[in-house]
Amino acid sequence: MGEELKTTIRRQNGLAVIQFTGDVTTFAEDVVQNAYQQVSRSGVNNIALDFTSCEYINSAGIAVIIGVVTEARRKGQDVYAFGLSSHYQKLFRMVGLTDYMAICENEAEALKRISMPAA
Amino acid sequence: MQDDKRSIEIHIPSEYGYEKVAMASAVAVAKRMGFSPDRIDDLRTAVSEACLNAIEHGNKLDVSTKVMVVMTVQSEGLEVNVQDQGRQRLPSDFPQPGEAPGERHRGIFIIQNLMDEVEFSSMDAGGNQIRMVIHLNKTSE
Repeated sequence: MGEELKTTIRRQNGLAVIQFTGDVTTFAEDVVQNAYQQVSRSGVNNIALDFTSCEYINSAGIAVIIGVVTEARRKGQDVYAFGLSSHYQKLFRMVGLTDYMAICENEAEALKRISMPAA
Repeated sequence: MQDDKRSIEIHIPSEYGYEKVAMASAVAVAKRMGFSPDRIDDLRTAVSEACLNAIEHGNKLDVSTKVMVVMTVQSEGLEVNVQDQGRQRLPSDFPQPGEAPGERHRGIFIIQNLMDEVEFSSMDAGGNQIRMVIHLNKTSE
């Protein structure tokens, strides 16, 4: 019934992008974790989650994202998200995800943020 | 659309994914009623979370049970009742609107923040019910 989540990983100028295609629900946990662990093991410090091809995210999926973001922050990695509709941006803010992950309009903005020197 | 009450009743299996059937129906009704796209997104998510709560917690993923979704068109908005068959009585310690969501009640927290009226109840005949209302002529926050 749901659309199974698939991930693809690409790297550009120090940013690892995990692109989600499908639904982010309770079934996404292994897929999301595997993708995150893959980029984390590569030693990257900046990770972007691309939701452009993701139409359905529920609270169980948000819990999966929170798990990854929490682990990333613990490891000192910065996490960005882009491609979210205004509705899902609102939900992410509502549940506090934006305290740990910056929301960007697109990949270019994420790249711009990582290239800026820390204040 | 006339101003009298019209109802749509849907029964979905207690299995992940079927909440999408209820979501699609709610979206169709809301579009017909003239809700804005932002409010339709709010409704879609709230219906999803209420159904998931019923499937996972109320009916404990028992495929022999159903979740009933009743949508009633009203002059000032849309009322949605989501009922499970009560394999488990839902707790009464749900977060209040504005409270930080806990790990377990994140879906309920989302519903409370998206809908204009939300009530939880246990039915005498068994089962739990979430009653939600979304008002027309109100913008998404």
